[in-house]
Amino acid sequence: MKMEDMSLSGLDNSKLEAIAHEIYTDLVEDACLGLCFEVHRAVKCGYFFLDDTDPDSMKDFEIVDQPGVDIFGQVYNQWKNKECVCPNCSRSIAASRFAPHLEKCLGMGRNSSRIANRRIASSNNMNKSESDQEDNDDINDNDWSYGSEKKAKKRKSDKVRGRGSGELLGRGPGRGGCDTGLAAPNAPLSLQNPNSPRRSKALKHKNGEIGGNPDPFKYSNSAGINYETLGPEELRTLLTTQCGVISEHTKKMCTRSLRCPQHTDEQRRSVRVYLLGPSASLPEAEGSVENDSFEVAESQAIMSRLQWDGSSDISPSDSASSKASTNNSESRKTKKKKPHLGLVSGAPGLGSSKKKKPKPPAPHTPSIYDDIN
Amino acid sequence: ISRMNKDAQMRATINQKLIETGERERLKELLRAKLIECGWKDQLKAHCKDVIKEKGLEHVTVDDLVAEITPKGRALVPDSVKKELLQRIRTFLAQHASL
Repeated sequence: MKMEDMSLSGLDNSKLEAIAHEIYTDLVEDACLGLCFEVHRAVKCGYFFLDDTDPDSMKDFEIVDQPGVDIFGQVYNQWKNKECVCPNCSRSIAASRFAPHLEKCLGMGRNSSRIANRRIASSNNMNKSESDQEDNDDINDNDWSYGSEKKAKKRKSDKVRGRGSGELLGRGPGRGGCDTGLAAPNAPLSLQNPNSPRRSKALKHKNGEIGGNPDPFKYSNSAGINYETLGPEELRTLLTTQCGVISEHTKKMCTRSLRCPQHTDEQRRSVRVYLLGPSASLPEAEGSVENDSFEVAESQAIMSRLQWDGSSDISPSDSASSKASTNNSESRKTKKKKPHLGLVSGAPGLGSSKKKKPKPPAPHTPSIYDDIN
Repeated sequence: ISRMNKDAQMRATINQKLIETGERERLKELLRAKLIECGWKDQLKAHCKDVIKEKGLEHVTVDDLVAEITPKGRALVPDSVKKELLQRIRTFLAQHASL
């Protein structure tokens, strides 16, 4: 073919248009043919009708268009009004609140602070080692930060101390504001029992006044000593270094020094007599524990003891002399009765002194007062 | 007749050009895509199902299908698709006019 003959520019537009249409028609027919082949092959291979659903299933899964129900036919808030009975506390709880309630009720959830409640409850019944384990559990618990754990422990020990020692030392007057929300009636017995070892454990962290005491486990949380549990030797040792006066309120021994301003020397003396027997070594005496060997000394010692004896059960008030004289006659520690009468008159004068004691009328007992003066 | 021959020759040339440049393939693909997009294929397929159910699954032949489908197919092509395709063809013709 010659190129000139085939030139399209010579053709008019209608011809071009006609050609274009022809080309277009060819293309559409091609597409239709393609579809026909595809369908025919599907029919012959048997997969043409595979994507159709059978009429029964069509009915089952028909789209639901009713009010109050979604397209699957399910009700939205079906369980909203239902109530469940909690197996733990036997209360009727709303369904949507049931899971969080269980969490708190069983004390097993992430946010339940029943861990602390459980700990306190278990320290009621168990001994110290048990509660140590409880504390370790809390340490391992990832949810507690160190600071909050320390605070919880501190708060607990504060509460422990506060309950027992509020009266004696006036330290933390029973702080009940723990985050664990423990009500007062729930306070374990160990907290209130002055002799329980649980208390002493909590206090070992805190109490600075107890320093130097030979027997820390017998301490009460009020920083006093319980004389009932100590043996005579220990008592003696204690009494040589400490005041030891037994408080009327708490029945505990004072752990302050021998010159403690809260108690008088008479009190100290009477405590020693009471605790260690009539032959007890007095705080100032060095070697004269046994006075029985010396007749004179004994009688004089007894006489001087008698002066102080009467004030053993009386709080530091100076007007105890009358009581002292009456108590003298009833004193269980005295062996001889004669010196009683002689010294009654002398007692009042001595009973009134507190810190600075004047020289007693009996000149043979200056050694006793040397240290005090 | 010579004119008709000329036209025929012209058409043949054009077709040849279409194929050689690959434009015909491109146009075909374009058309197919557009027809699927506009739903023409699904419409036609549903029509096929009716035909097949009518004729019986086992006895359907290609000719039956072609005879049934093609006229309907041609009619069902949307106008937009038609116009776009024609436009492309004209463009092609214009490009190769000097050839």
